[in-house]
Amino acid sequence: MLSGKGFQKVFNVSGGIKAWHAKTAIGPQDLGLDLFTGKEEPLDVLKVAYSLEQGLREFYLQMGKEAENPKIEDLFAKLSEIEVKHQMSIYIAYNDISTKEVSKDEFEKMVEIKALEGGLSTREYLELFGSDLDSETQVISLAMSIEAQALDLYQRLSLKVGNRQSRDIINKIAKEEKAHLASLGKLMDSL
Amino acid sequence: MKWMQFFTPAKSLDFNETEKFIANHPGDEITILDVRQLSEYKESHIPGANLIPLPQLSDRLGELDPQKPVLVY
Repeated sequence: MLSGKGFQKVFNVSGGIKAWHAKTAIGPQDLGLDLFTGKEEPLDVLKVAYSLEQGLREFYLQMGKEAENPKIEDLFAKLSEIEVKHQMSIYIAYNDISTKEVSKDEFEKMVEIKALEGGLSTREYLELFGSDLDSETQVISLAMSIEAQALDLYQRLSLKVGNRQSRDIINKIAKEEKAHLASLGKLMDSL
Repeated sequence: MKWMQFFTPAKSLDFNETEKFIANHPGDEITILDVRQLSEYKESHIPGANLIPLPQLSDRLGELDPQKPVLVY
């Protein structure tokens, strides 16, 4: 149908979702989009993105505290450190485009945490993936699920946001999530 | 009736090719199109996929950019 309607490059994903062996995302197409109005200026996008990273970081820290296995505790600590790096790049991006430079403390005061990365709450993630994570593989699998969800959210969001610069920022963050997902995949393969 | 739309073949990509294609293209340069039903999409979909159930596709083609490569499943 698409090929005959002027679409230049159409590819059939052979086997469909059943043949898709990488991480999938869940939920309706508007999941998590309530965190954004679609009219955000670039600076607002960065504030919301920062809050999502912060929510996830706190989630990993909490999971690390509850872990009984030291290896699992270490892994959650590493995952939370990765989120700190993401947050730092968002903060730097904010100051790059803001007319007034803000300190990290000032920036954090402007940020309101409503959900974790990917648009789901801590409770929703735990209901989906369970809290009894007792192997490194399970922990990385959880992290990969969250990153897939985050990638999904940002890509759906880029269709909703009208401002071109905001959209570019969202696409850049989505690209980082994609890279993060790939590196978690490599980590999983190395175990 | 424009019969060409029913007969124009689309190239198929297997899982590895699809994964590579998505990895090599920024999300805003391609369209991943899920043509299944909403309940199936909610249960599981390729990250970044747009949902347009097949029965609605012909009426909603205007929502898609014909210049971008489309991966359909």
